[in-house]
Amino acid sequence: MLEAVSAMASVMGDPYLLGLITATTVLGIVIGVLPGLGATTGAALLLPFTLTMDPVHAIAVLATLYVSATFAGSITAILINTPGTSAAAATTFDGFPLAQRGEAGRALGIAVVSSTIGGIFSILVLCLAAPMLAKVAYEFRPPEYFALTVFGLSMLASVGAGGAVKNLIGGVFGVWLATIGAERVTSIERFMFGNYELYEGLSFVPVMIGLFAISELLVQSKHAHRVANMVTLKAVKLPSREDYKRIWKTIARSSGIGTFIGILPAEGATVASMIGYSEARRWSKKRDEFGKGSIEGIAGAEAANNAATGGAMVPTMVLGIPGSGTTAIILVGLMVHGLRPGPYLFTEQVESVYQIFGAMLVANVIFLGMGLYAAKLFARISLVPTAILWPIVFALSVIGAYALSASLLDVWIALIFGVVGFFARRHGFSVAPIAVGLILGHMVEVNLQNSLKMFDGAWWMILTQPLALLFLVLAFLGLFGSQLVKLLTRSSRAS
Amino acid sequence: MRPLIVPGILAAVSAVIIYMALQLKLSPPMIVGHSMQPRSFPIFLMVINLILIGILAWECFRSPPKPVEIEGATTWVSISLFAAFYFLTTYADFFIAIAVVMFILSTSWGERRLHVAALISVTVPLTLFLLFDEVLKIRFPRGLITNWYYG
Repeated sequence: MLEAVSAMASVMGDPYLLGLITATTVLGIVIGVLPGLGATTGAALLLPFTLTMDPVHAIAVLATLYVSATFAGSITAILINTPGTSAAAATTFDGFPLAQRGEAGRALGIAVVSSTIGGIFSILVLCLAAPMLAKVAYEFRPPEYFALTVFGLSMLASVGAGGAVKNLIGGVFGVWLATIGAERVTSIERFMFGNYELYEGLSFVPVMIGLFAISELLVQSKHAHRVANMVTLKAVKLPSREDYKRIWKTIARSSGIGTFIGILPAEGATVASMIGYSEARRWSKKRDEFGKGSIEGIAGAEAANNAATGGAMVPTMVLGIPGSGTTAIILVGLMVHGLRPGPYLFTEQVESVYQIFGAMLVANVIFLGMGLYAAKLFARISLVPTAILWPIVFALSVIGAYALSASLLDVWIALIFGVVGFFARRHGFSVAPIAVGLILGHMVEVNLQNSLKMFDGAWWMILTQPLALLFLVLAFLGLFGSQLVKLLTRSSRAS
Repeated sequence: MRPLIVPGILAAVSAVIIYMALQLKLSPPMIVGHSMQPRSFPIFLMVINLILIGILAWECFRSPPKPVEIEGATTWVSISLFAAFYFLTTYADFFIAIAVVMFILSTSWGERRLHVAALISVTVPLTLFLLFDEVLKIRFPRGLITNWYYG
């Protein structure tokens, strides 16, 4: 424990890292306030810039961006009724009405304080839960890992904007993408079309840039001529004592909800904020204020979405299973920098892990200050014309896709996945399941192969492993639980 | 029939993948052992997908989704620019391609100040080139400008 505290505190003694965290917090807020960009696209664009950094610094930068961009979405949600990130969508319900009543400063103050408390709470939980989970995961063998990844994939049913079936189809296509390249055991080439640059498989980075950044560019092309109007903001106000009295329970509840939702594989800040908001409404004594500028509504959504950031890092770091679209990119960052995600990270690189957690903690404190004193300035950035912003995103995307392997093929892959992602989104498919499927695909196949070897081809022996069985049952319940409940209710009513 | 177009396309893609997987070489049993053949996993995945697509088709048939709006001209121009980017990169230069695409993208998206669009289209790729080349030490593909720069 002392080792963890000292590693986290060491962030404060590293001026270079501190400078990086501050700069990335500013960048994260800028990315968060720009409608359409968001934490996931921002992380995909930033990843190539971290290539020459020390691994800990690189991951700290990505984690900081995740935290700050998630918070920043609330600034535009409150001031221009456009959530900078999808995680801030629930903040618009009450943030904008409160701003329209001339209380934009109060709304932003509540948002920034709730976000900070939610974020710090989740990092403390991360520091306590991650090593404990790592101890359990240390005992995992291929059958348990296989079942766990299947559980992670089953959770895709609820990730992103598409329906459950569409998300699962996207996830399965993502897993298939992971089979492109030479097969690990036999070296037989699969789906390479004679292109030997694909021998090692599809690179994650260009696929992520394509799915998140390029496809978003095409989505934004429909809003190319949109003009946003900003509510007047004089200054951000810290919540009053009366405000605190009204929202502290909501913040505490939403911090817990957000952290828990974040820990679930493939769930993320958007789901957390929606649940945080609806729970705030359910427990409120002034339910009729919701939708008209309730401060509990803002606090409920904001504490939950930032709490999900720390929660989502738990399965990412401990199990190698991303907790959200952005953590999928952080996971890619870990791999690119040679840090093997999983329980071994907590024995072999324990200091690095806690430095990353420390960086996230510091980022929360920095964005508290920036949110209070510079929100007005950041909100102005959101008014940058789309006709200037998105061509810059295009340049960043193609150069970023090229940079990892100095390969033009990666640029074409990013563009192809951008177009595919755009049409998928147009037809109600979310791109996040494809990305998560691609990352988990290799794990699923390798652990299934190893399990079959362990049991001499008797696949059903996987079901005899208690933990593996538990994960598979959870996956089954996740997929069919609600239908089963409906069926049981119907049959009990009939009888 | 219209609501079934998307499930139909997905089913066709899955079928093509199964066909391609069936064309993969079989590995000798002494290498594979008790594990799977390299073709087995992709086929298994696509069979699952076909089942899911069947459910999606049923859902679309029972309650047809709202028709998707036809993409506007700006979207098609943006997609066409990606193709132009490919040809410009291949036959001219990576950075010329980026600058041209940025300029056309910006103006077609409604930027009327041509000097601003031109300035952005030149300065952004130039800054990124210098950053990646000088700081991150990444060599860019040969072309008209990079040949001149690298010598």
